[in-house]
Amino acid sequence: MADSAAEARIDQSLVARALLGDDRRAFEQLLRRHQGMVRAQLCRLLHGDEAAADDLAQETFLLAWRKLDQFRSEARFSTWLHRIAYSCFLQTYRTKAWAARHAEDDGMEQLPAPTNAMDLRLDLARAMRHLSSAEQAVLLHCVQLGLSHEEAAYVLAMPLGTVKTHATRGKAKLKTWLSAWHEAAGEERVP
Amino acid sequence: MNPKHDHDDNDDIDIDIDIDALLRQSFDGPTPDAGFCDRVIQQLPPRRRRSAWPLVTGVLIGAVMCSLSLFSSPLWRAAWHGWLVGAWSSSTIIMLSTMAAMSLLALGWTLAEADDH
Repeated sequence: MADSAAEARIDQSLVARALLGDDRRAFEQLLRRHQGMVRAQLCRLLHGDEAAADDLAQETFLLAWRKLDQFRSEARFSTWLHRIAYSCFLQTYRTKAWAARHAEDDGMEQLPAPTNAMDLRLDLARAMRHLSSAEQAVLLHCVQLGLSHEEAAYVLAMPLGTVKTHATRGKAKLKTWLSAWHEAAGEERVP
Repeated sequence: MNPKHDHDDNDDIDIDIDIDALLRQSFDGPTPDAGFCDRVIQQLPPRRRRSAWPLVTGVLIGAVMCSLSLFSSPLWRAAWHGWLVGAWSSSTIIMLSTMAAMSLLALGWTLAEADDH
């Protein structure tokens, strides 16, 4: 918690330097501190398309540079960046039916049962794609990126209750699917 | 991290699946820089300076709107006379307050429009 507060203070001072002195080096430090997580967020949202994620990440940081004076410190700087990145993602891909092109067309029942932990991780990734886009986004931000429910609600522009509901439902679905596969794998191993 | 998932990948899956731990394990973490920051820094445009035109436009629009709306009012004439002779009558104060308020409203509107563009 203390680390998080210290990080937030460093970000705020860098933002102030970038704004008051038009200091590009301060913004460069902000960029270096946060590019990794923003690109990871976008890469996950784009199901591993690193080139598209980098394009969107670049757009995100250019937008952050232009709108830096609108950062009000009501959220952490990293959360603000995640919000811009998610907004860029929605604007770019909502109208392109990107999700439809990348959606897997095999049904859940066709997935083979995982036989070891590596299979389970691979199938977890495939199972994630069968969640609704809102459930995927909530689990990505709350569990994998480590945001609080409140921060995820800010990033995704969703009511807090909706975020909690999506998180609970998404985890329940994954647990059900993965448990079913586990049971199937157990039955196969029994002679 | 959940220790029960940290052993060998070939071990059998624990029946009690911890979804949070699995999701965290499947996340690769921050993406390495690999020249990304340098590319972005080169693309940064010069920062736009906030121009003075919204302020001037807002004040002018507010003053004109106020003048038009109060032109036929006796309050306006009384205030104008008071202003000319340097007497701070109540009508003068009301007129100036109204003009200031309308100017601020118009200023807020122009600032919002400028941000949108």
